[in-house]
Amino acid sequence: MTRLLFVLCIILLFAAPFFGQIDLPWQRLWQSGTMEHQVFFELRLPRVLLAFLVGGVLSLGGLVFQVVFRNPMSTPFTLGVASGATLFTAIAIVAGIGTLSPLFAFGGAVLTVLILFAITARFRSYDPTALLLVGIALSFFYAAALMVMFYLSTLQESYEIMRFTMGSLDVVGFGNILLLGAASALLLWLVYHYQRPLQALLTSYAFAYLQGIDVKKLSYTLLFGVSLAVGVAVSMTGPIGFVGLIIPHILKTLYRTSADKLLWQSFFYGGAFLVLSDLIARNLTANNLPIGVVTSFVGAPFFIYLLMRNK
Amino acid sequence: MPLKITDYSDAILRDITCEVAKGEHRIILGDNGAGKTTLARVLCGLTPSDHVDIDGINPSRSFGTTRARKINYIPAKLEVFDTFLSVEALLALSHFNTALPIQSVLEMLQITHLRQQPCSRLSAGESQLVLTASALLHGADYTLFDEPTANLDPVRMRELFTLLRHDTHLATKLIITHNLDLAYQLGFDVIYLKEGRIVFDGSSDAFFDQAHLDALYGGSVKKHNGHVVVVL
Repeated sequence: MTRLLFVLCIILLFAAPFFGQIDLPWQRLWQSGTMEHQVFFELRLPRVLLAFLVGGVLSLGGLVFQVVFRNPMSTPFTLGVASGATLFTAIAIVAGIGTLSPLFAFGGAVLTVLILFAITARFRSYDPTALLLVGIALSFFYAAALMVMFYLSTLQESYEIMRFTMGSLDVVGFGNILLLGAASALLLWLVYHYQRPLQALLTSYAFAYLQGIDVKKLSYTLLFGVSLAVGVAVSMTGPIGFVGLIIPHILKTLYRTSADKLLWQSFFYGGAFLVLSDLIARNLTANNLPIGVVTSFVGAPFFIYLLMRNK
Repeated sequence: MPLKITDYSDAILRDITCEVAKGEHRIILGDNGAGKTTLARVLCGLTPSDHVDIDGINPSRSFGTTRARKINYIPAKLEVFDTFLSVEALLALSHFNTALPIQSVLEMLQITHLRQQPCSRLSAGESQLVLTASALLHGADYTLFDEPTANLDPVRMRELFTLLRHDTHLATKLIITHNLDLAYQLGFDVIYLKEGRIVFDGSSDAFFDQAHLDALYGGSVKKHNGHVVVVL
């Protein structure tokens, strides 16, 4: 089952750029200067790569968050990274500097994590539940601040903010891809570097601690690393929900192995899932469906199917 | 250099001061809620404190193998978050005493059949044996056991008793238990806690003197044919 899935995903990844609303005849693809060449190399290929990397970051980030918080409902957005990015994007749009919105989104994501860590650093001992609750409180605060931004915005600005929250994989060229590729590589390095301590977290905080691990430092390092990578991803695409929650669960059900052995799988299948979702979004309707809608529509029924099969 | 706690107090414990030299063993006894587990958590650094010193290090401020090789705490229950984490993976995490192979410890405890099983599928008794295996593989200078026999059947309990008594892999064992006969048969010195205070810290013979037992347990604990029994 897992081998078949892997082969299917590889086929999907290679085939995805060839499918879209415009047919691209094979022989014209390789002739530089043609419209087909431009569509393929400037739009389709970067889009598939963006989808793959964003999906990978969100899925691996979700897996790490679920382990660190010992909470299967955690996602990489749990600490308010997406809300921070959305709020600061809205601020950029309302302030009339929408072109800088990716920078603002990334700043918002990073600032959120810094505020969170600054608050929880004042707690006497490491308490992940408190960290989680502060993150949720921050998200609510941001949601209220976002309402203020909507209130202050014009109709056009409101529309732009709303489109950001729905997520979008529109991209031109490879500039962003390189940046996201670097963030993904750093995230993968970080997670593999801490693979053994991460495995200890799969037991209990006490057990991990007794093996000599500085649980607080480890958790903060992993959460910060994931949040940075997710911040880069969200600044480019907006918050795309569901991937970070569902892919780690699906993989655990399929592979029936512990989370520390699902690191590259999380990245790879998270990426493949978002590529598939985008393929559906691009081909189902004349106007691209928002990607977040598709991830939920595809993921939720499949997740429920897996749960029912296991029970 | 010993394991020392000096003038420690918190919401449960009061004025705790005691010292255990490396190579000695202790039994920690006390009523429910007396603070035995709290004391264990303070000693191993899980509850941060500046009143604990283990061979010159403060366990709550020291990390890595420096602390791991000094002290270990084996809780009453095995807690595992991941459904699929195997017994072997768990044991590998605490395998600091590399001179002792995992297989030989599993054989010693007669749990080789559990090696590939997910920890989440273990029974309470099996979990306890796996925790004991992890303690042996960890091989810390000071190992605190919290109710190591609580969920074991009589045969397993006897086997674990023999292991705790004759084991040479763990330099110092501090064993929290409610099983008075186990404590008596092990013959280690006893620390007795009552309402958060250490009210006895001395030899096994002095603790299990019948007059002392009567004073502590009001006549409900008797010595009979070389065993300590609870009179029901």
